Amino acid sequence: MALIELEHIVKTYDLGLSKVLALQDIHVRIERGEFVAIVGQSGSGKSTLMNIIGCLDVPTAGRYRLSGRDVSTLSDDQLADVRNLEIGFVFQSFQLLPRASALENVELPLVYRGVSKKERNQRAVEAMKMVGLEERMKHKPAELSGGQRQRVAIARALVTQPSLLLADEPTGNLDSKTGEEIIRLFLDLHARGNTIVLVTHEPKLAARCPRAVRLVDGLVIADGPGREVAAANAEALGAEALAQFQAAERAAQAAQAGAR
Amino acid sequence: MRAIRRFFAELRDAVVQAAFSLISHKLRAVLTISGIAIGIMTVILIFMVQAGMSSSFARQLSTLGPNTLFVHKWKWGVNGNDWWKYKNRPVVNMMDMRALQQNTTLPVAIAPLVNTQATVNYAGKDVRGVDVRGTTDGYLDATGWQIRRGRFLTALDQEIGANVCIIGADIEDAFFKGQEPLGQQIRVGPNIRCSIVGIFLRKGNAFGQTQDLRVILPISTFMRTFGSKRGLVIAVVAPEGKVRETEDEVTAVMRNARHLAPDQEENFSVNRQDKLLEGFNQMMMATNVTGILVGIITAIVAGIGIMNILLVSVKERTREIGIRRAIGARRATILWQFLCEAVMVAVVGGLVGIALASGGASIIDLISPLPAKVDPRVMLGGVVGSAFLGAAFGLWPALTAALLQPIEALRYE
Repeated sequence: MALIELEHIVKTYDLGLSKVLALQDIHVRIERGEFVAIVGQSGSGKSTLMNIIGCLDVPTAGRYRLSGRDVSTLSDDQLADVRNLEIGFVFQSFQLLPRASALENVELPLVYRGVSKKERNQRAVEAMKMVGLEERMKHKPAELSGGQRQRVAIARALVTQPSLLLADEPTGNLDSKTGEEIIRLFLDLHARGNTIVLVTHEPKLAARCPRAVRLVDGLVIADGPGREVAAANAEALGAEALAQFQAAERAAQAAQAGAR
Repeated sequence: MRAIRRFFAELRDAVVQAAFSLISHKLRAVLTISGIAIGIMTVILIFMVQAGMSSSFARQLSTLGPNTLFVHKWKWGVNGNDWWKYKNRPVVNMMDMRALQQNTTLPVAIAPLVNTQATVNYAGKDVRGVDVRGTTDGYLDATGWQIRRGRFLTALDQEIGANVCIIGADIEDAFFKGQEPLGQQIRVGPNIRCSIVGIFLRKGNAFGQTQDLRVILPISTFMRTFGSKRGLVIAVVAPEGKVRETEDEVTAVMRNARHLAPDQEENFSVNRQDKLLEGFNQMMMATNVTGILVGIITAIVAGIGIMNILLVSVKERTREIGIRRAIGARRATILWQFLCEAVMVAVVGGLVGIALASGGASIIDLISPLPAKVDPRVMLGGVVGSAFLGAAFGLWPALTAALLQPIEALRYE
């Protein structure tokens, strides 16, 4: 049984007068233990897809099964429980509680699971060790560097031992050196058996994942080994950038002609 | 088990977060809290003063007896615009008293009352501000007072103007520690010495003042000493169930004694304590309504303060709400979290208000004759009430927080 089964997923946003089709017909299966990048430009629907996979949003049509359970039909409370039990989120902007210490941030998902104080502490400390931050547990997020904050966020995602680690542009707010450390941490976590879905617009990052899924305009247009998909994506990006450049040049010439 | 543990862990988290939220916005919290505190204090004080007044009044009334009529120059309870009319009436005097004694048939007891404040002296020691009264032998039957030791005044004492007196328990305590008071002579006022012939049973306080600092003389002796032009109140006790008939008879006898023609208005009043009670109840009703109105206005003002502080808090913590929802908090968790903050602000305000009210009560107790003390039940009510206030006005902001979509909350800048 696949961990994630997305069948004919459609998502539309109703903006009053017009309807936006964010996802058209997504069909993806992800097995346990995989490390998959979802790659695409902004507006391609990758964030919408991530929200649906993360049970933060529900599809307009289609069926999404997580660990064999159809989550399209769950109530709000049940979705909250699924997020708590099955999914660990890592966000681009870290999303830590500013007033709580690093350790308290990591403990929080266990609070919602009703784990005893002692066990919470023990498991949070373990998770902090796993991301190499055992010396910074008492610090507030504001007292940590960007890379350290993202490690705390990863520890918080890991502490519940979720079936799925879901990362949204985890290196987007980091410099390249720190970003590289975080990528290594993800590769390491994958090697230890965690299932990871990573959403990114960077083909370079997608190239290092064993598998990548490429979205354009809400459609899956490539699904395969990361390196190949990323290369195709880069080409497309390049072609598009060239087309935009040419269009701009033509417009400039036309403007000049008009001025004359 | 797991659910219980989750509940307490969430509650603890909510309390800590609420405390943080208040501490990090001290000024805002202080303003809101003081609003609630002043409101709670005002309401408690209004109802406390009112309760003090009505309990004093009830005790005072119980010393009068329900079947007693009071013939007086003044009409009790309501005065208002007719003040001059009553002021210009002739005083009730011993002539009226005699007429009532001789010509009425129904009354069980009749006693004239006149009083003043004077200094009493025994063995070189002064006691000031003693309530000195003149009356006759009918007093005990008319008022229900009781003699603990010795005897009361007799008709003979009254007739000859004997220098005898009955003392209250406070006078006994002041002069005669471990000594026999009966037969001793005390000086009452500037120039008479009276032998003590009886001691009253202790009566306790009314209107916050002792009723036992008292000396009673025959009314003839009183008038010889303190002047005979003073107006009297004549207490007339009606037999059970014949109050109205007695009132009619007393009125007729008084009209006759004063030679009033049938078309002339009475120049005296026959008062009943229930008339006093009526006036008092009207006043109490007014303060009650005032108290309730002040309470409602206060609650609304304080509630708006709470709602405001909470709306700001929800806005500021929108991202936090998103984060919590993403990692498994249910809607109810978010709701409780913000309700907790609202209740905390309100209860802190309530506690401060109760503390202020207790302080105010001690001041009132000190400077006014009313016994003022904040009832523990009122304190409990204040805390519970402010908690409810917080929950009621915090509900809407807390609901908006709970109903936020997790994705939107996460994206909020």
